[in-house]
Amino acid sequence: MIDVERIAKEAQKLPHVVMARDYKYMCSDPGQEKLIGDIKEYKLNRVVVAACSPRIHEPTFRKALEQAGLNPYMFQMANIREQDSWVHIDSEYATLKALSLIKAAVSRVQYHKPLDKRFVEVNSATLVIGGGISGISAALEIANAGKQVYLVEKSDALGGITAKLDLTFPFLESAQQMMKPRIQQVQAHKLIDVFLNTTFAEITGYVGNFISKIRQNGIEKELQFGNIIVATGLKPFDPSSIPEYNYGKLPDVVTSLEIEEMLMHGEVITSKKKEPENIAIIHCVGSRNSKYHPYCSRTCCSTALKYANQLRSMLPKSNIYELYADMRSFGKGCEEFYADSSRRKILFLMFDQENNLPKITKAQDNDTAEMLITMHEKLSGEDIEIPADLVILMTGMEARQDAKEIARLTGVSLCGNDFYIEKHPKLDPVATTTDGVYIVGSCQSPKDIPESITQAKAAAARVLASIAVGNIEVEVTTAHIDEEVCCGCQTCIMVCPYTAIHFDEEKRVSVVNEALCKGCGTCGSTCPTGAIESRHFTDKQILSQIEGLLKTEKEPI
Amino acid sequence: MNRIDPDFKEKLKPFGVGNWAECFHCGNCTATCPLTDESHLFPRKGIRWLQMGLKKKISRNLDPWMCYYCGDCSETCPRDANPGELMMTLRRYLISVYDWTGISRLFYKNKIWELGFIVIFALLIVSAFFIFLPPDPAIISNPGAFINAQGGVMINSLSTGLGNEQFLRIIETGDLIMAITVGLLLISNIFNMWYKVILSDPDTRVPLFTYVKEFWRLIIHFAVQPKLSKCDDKKYWLGHFLLMSGYTIMFILIVGLLPKFQVENIYPWYHWQRILGYYATFGILLFLVNVFIRRIRKNDIKLQFSHGSDWLFIILLFLTTVTGILIHILRLNGNPLATYYIYVAHLAILVPMIMVEVPFSKWSHLAYRPFAIYFSALKKATAEKAMKTSLATAI
Repeated sequence: MIDVERIAKEAQKLPHVVMARDYKYMCSDPGQEKLIGDIKEYKLNRVVVAACSPRIHEPTFRKALEQAGLNPYMFQMANIREQDSWVHIDSEYATLKALSLIKAAVSRVQYHKPLDKRFVEVNSATLVIGGGISGISAALEIANAGKQVYLVEKSDALGGITAKLDLTFPFLESAQQMMKPRIQQVQAHKLIDVFLNTTFAEITGYVGNFISKIRQNGIEKELQFGNIIVATGLKPFDPSSIPEYNYGKLPDVVTSLEIEEMLMHGEVITSKKKEPENIAIIHCVGSRNSKYHPYCSRTCCSTALKYANQLRSMLPKSNIYELYADMRSFGKGCEEFYADSSRRKILFLMFDQENNLPKITKAQDNDTAEMLITMHEKLSGEDIEIPADLVILMTGMEARQDAKEIARLTGVSLCGNDFYIEKHPKLDPVATTTDGVYIVGSCQSPKDIPESITQAKAAAARVLASIAVGNIEVEVTTAHIDEEVCCGCQTCIMVCPYTAIHFDEEKRVSVVNEALCKGCGTCGSTCPTGAIESRHFTDKQILSQIEGLLKTEKEPI
Repeated sequence: MNRIDPDFKEKLKPFGVGNWAECFHCGNCTATCPLTDESHLFPRKGIRWLQMGLKKKISRNLDPWMCYYCGDCSETCPRDANPGELMMTLRRYLISVYDWTGISRLFYKNKIWELGFIVIFALLIVSAFFIFLPPDPAIISNPGAFINAQGGVMINSLSTGLGNEQFLRIIETGDLIMAITVGLLLISNIFNMWYKVILSDPDTRVPLFTYVKEFWRLIIHFAVQPKLSKCDDKKYWLGHFLLMSGYTIMFILIVGLLPKFQVENIYPWYHWQRILGYYATFGILLFLVNVFIRRIRKNDIKLQFSHGSDWLFIILLFLTTVTGILIHILRLNGNPLATYYIYVAHLAILVPMIMVEVPFSKWSHLAYRPFAIYFSALKKATAEKAMKTSLATAI
């Protein structure tokens, strides 16, 4: 798409350019060696690479500059892939645009200044928020490595939702046998301080050095720690908002957690104290429906299969119906679990989740069943009626009401469904955009137990790594406030998304906490007096970049 | 509203075998079937109805009759759910649904009933012969008196004290009684089917004209099974046609033309009756031998699961054919006593076979299939007309 040879020749003619070359894989080892060789041979003091997005390879080239003895910030990247060759169809225009982007980069890089790396010490204690399976797993992992953990739990007991479950899918192992020893281990561990019934007054500080005020039974305490693992978990969806299901009105319509309790006590009976003859299990309650939650709660299908299997064994004569929208029993052993279940006299009936939910009504007094479910069965195209004495609603997971509060305290962002957002959905699923704060378990998105534990242990590894290194490199492209120019209006404090700026009452000026600052530049562009300079994004650098961009011919020559 | 009944599967068990719970509704069976069309989506839909136990839907559905069981569906089924066998099972079930007397259900559910009925009926015929039409004692002392000019046995003169015309009239009367009984039972069952499929459906009000207009289908599908010829294996149609035409010829000769067929003198081999008789025997026998071998070998998917009623039908028909051939040989051979005994045996097998198979069991499909195609055409024509009318009013 882009005539790379041509733009290399054109770039050679630009002011201050000593040499320009084209090479197919500049980011490869031989490519980097070429770059290092050129810097040394031509005594270059600034480098521009026109290639892909800086998101991917800016760190690679900065490293190469460092190896060649240059400050890594004397570098600028022109993105001629995502912003050019991938999005245009005319080769001539694309080449011109590439040249334009290179001119902008060359024009900008002349104003780059060397910046030095900065490090902060890491406090080796860790705060874990939430005492469910995720929080407990992370806490044990860190404490077993010999580091202090503060485990803060809002309720009066450890164990979370997992402690309320009877068996787990797909191997039907007891959740209790899994949780109880782990809870005991946590409680007995010398390096884990458990705070039950505890909430946060505030969390301040930055990666490596957080300070928090916690409130336990009305008493305030201060904790200091270097990393935070947020494991606040989920809230089961409340099905009373779905009119079709009449939850709360019909006594034998129960939620998944309610049936767990019955199963744990080994007795499944209806409100009339009878064994149910017909049991219907309705999937996707509150999930995958634009009226409630658009997302899939991921665990309900397999959990529903688990109920069907448990009930089949407990009540061999009963009729069990699974009313599902789509069967999503993914994961190790789960598809097999589904296949086995389908051979255990369980009738699977498909309904339309988005437009036509099943309706549960009370049956006539002379009917054999207590309730009737009417639905449009998709695989046959028939409207059918299902007798039911007990209906289990597979309630989905949703974000907790206090998710927003914890997000504000820890500086984590929320997605549209109020789950926490990870730093990168694929490459960094455990970290957040706030350094030193990690998210694990269902507070990030609906998860099953193994996924939660995997994420918890991954976060623990990240925390332990930072403790092992002892210090953490922090962003150097931060904002800097010129005290002489600052008028003390505090506009910057209001706009800062990372709460990185505070007001110095004595000097009456704003001060940037550089450990917290991400260099987003919001304060710099808001500052009415021009007192704030964003390092590596100074006015001069940006204006010269724009100038460079505008210098190119807009039409093919 | 259709209430589901998960126990229905169990109720269907006496009618056939299949692992229909295995079906996960990929639809391969319907896609591969050469006979399914937009108005008859089988076998997948039928499996679904069965899984859910929608009894009313199933008993009013005509789809099973549209299937001639080529077995392609069962071969393509990724779950070995055997959809073809389901259609077979549903046909058996439907036969029991159409039969208002309940005898059919009794026979399917319990083979002892069916076998017992056949044995008792056979014994009744044998004893009737020995009481009312016993063999003439002269057969032993003077067998030559029963041989005609061509050297063959005079079949109508073997009973004691009766003239040959009298004997023939008795047999003919018995024949007619059997045919009328079977016919009435079958017709009343077809009425029941008609009631269930057409009359009780509030959405289908078939005009009289449509009945007349579509009547040709009944004749064509009864006579030559054009649908069956659409199955990929053409030998299947040929085999069935040989059996069916052979049997029809025999039936007409025996029931309608008995006085012409069962005569004292032996016709030359090229006489039309003998030629027709040989053709019928050959057709039936070829089919039977073929089916016997394949049902035993079980390498054809559609003949792997032989229901008791299937075996009974083949065995009875085989015995009827063999005794029929024997009568012919013994007559030609001039052996009057053996002819008499085999003749009694022939009737003792033939009569219960027709009494059981035609109104109550496998053979009733000779009527239900063409009628199902006819009824289905009536429904379709009515629906199309209703559609046109509603479109016309909409415009």
